[in-house]
Amino acid sequence: MSSLSALRWRTTPIDAIAWREWDGEYVVRSERSGNTHLLGPLAGRVLQVLLDASSALNSDDIAAELSDELAATDAAERKAAIEAALSEFKRLGLAEPVQE
Amino acid sequence: MIVSELSPEELASRLASPGLRLRTGPVVTRIQSRLTSVVQGVALHYAHYAVEGEGSFADFRVRVASPHSLRRWLKPQVYFHFDGASPFLPLPANQAFAMLEWGLNWCVSNHCHQYLIIHAAAVERSGLALLLPGPPGSGKSTLCAGLASRGWRLLCDELTLLDLATGSVVPLPRPISLKNESIDVIRRFAPEARLNPPVHDTVKGSVAHMKAPEQSVIRGAEPARPRWVVLPRFERGATVSLEQQSRARTFMRLAENAFNYDVHGRRGFELLANLIATSDCFECRFSLLEDAVEALDGLARRT
Repeated sequence: MSSLSALRWRTTPIDAIAWREWDGEYVVRSERSGNTHLLGPLAGRVLQVLLDASSALNSDDIAAELSDELAATDAAERKAAIEAALSEFKRLGLAEPVQE
Repeated sequence: MIVSELSPEELASRLASPGLRLRTGPVVTRIQSRLTSVVQGVALHYAHYAVEGEGSFADFRVRVASPHSLRRWLKPQVYFHFDGASPFLPLPANQAFAMLEWGLNWCVSNHCHQYLIIHAAAVERSGLALLLPGPPGSGKSTLCAGLASRGWRLLCDELTLLDLATGSVVPLPRPISLKNESIDVIRRFAPEARLNPPVHDTVKGSVAHMKAPEQSVIRGAEPARPRWVVLPRFERGATVSLEQQSRARTFMRLAENAFNYDVHGRRGFELLANLIATSDCFECRFSLLEDAVEALDGLARRT
């Protein structure tokens, strides 16, 4: 298990993020940084799952939420891609791990 | 009153002092210059533009002038003055009118933050605007000049002003800046177009300005709703193609091409997102202007 797997994640406050989706691609603006980012389909869906969640989620929770959409991919690959997206969100100020 | 109603002597006199208050779209600029090339350039390119009264408000006060030194005679140069300051290095005197045009663009792009300003040309047909964002060399101004010569209304060549409340394009019709080979391309494509003699060896190469069509000036207060975003891509030898583009990627291109996207924060994001959501996005590869204009005419016909 990677160190990221144990972490639970939440987005920065929902009103600090503006986003739009067209044909599976996302543009996301962070109020905190003032930057706008282009996200691919997987990263965009991970962000949506976090935005819709009522509590912090770990990568297994997110993978379960996306299981139907990502059924064709290998479970380990799927989890690695989700964790890569979460790390990128942390760098961009879009999401953060919850201190427990 | 419009510029062409002033006699050549009155125009020269007003430009010398106290300055000509010229309306271009929503902007009034008080222009001062005693230079013959500026007077001639204003007379040609701005003949149909409104002149505001001498006591009226001007958004910008600019002056194009020679220095009071030997440089007036030896390799003469000109300066662009803005509210008494000189924001640019001087240029050779034969570039005076081009410098005025570049300076006016600078005034708008640096100060008109009541709009979201995109580095893009824009034209209109049936109330719908086609935006052409693109870097120098992409063919943006050539396409814009071509379309403006074939029934599309010129909204702007360089600076697309988006109204923050409505998302509409606010026209800023001004001369179209043509560079290098584009000058002859437009001369062949639209022999009736009025261009001033090219100025060579500028930082942009050879430059000539094409006069904005009269109708686009007369209708300069009519906004247009964005409907298409077309990324022009001039490619020597290419067959014309219109390829649909991802909306998200086109959004990013517009944001990158905006002068003041960051100034407007979330409002700018929402404005661009709404624009993209209601526009079809394409890349237009072309080498022949005739073919590109025909392809873009086709977009309007299909709507």
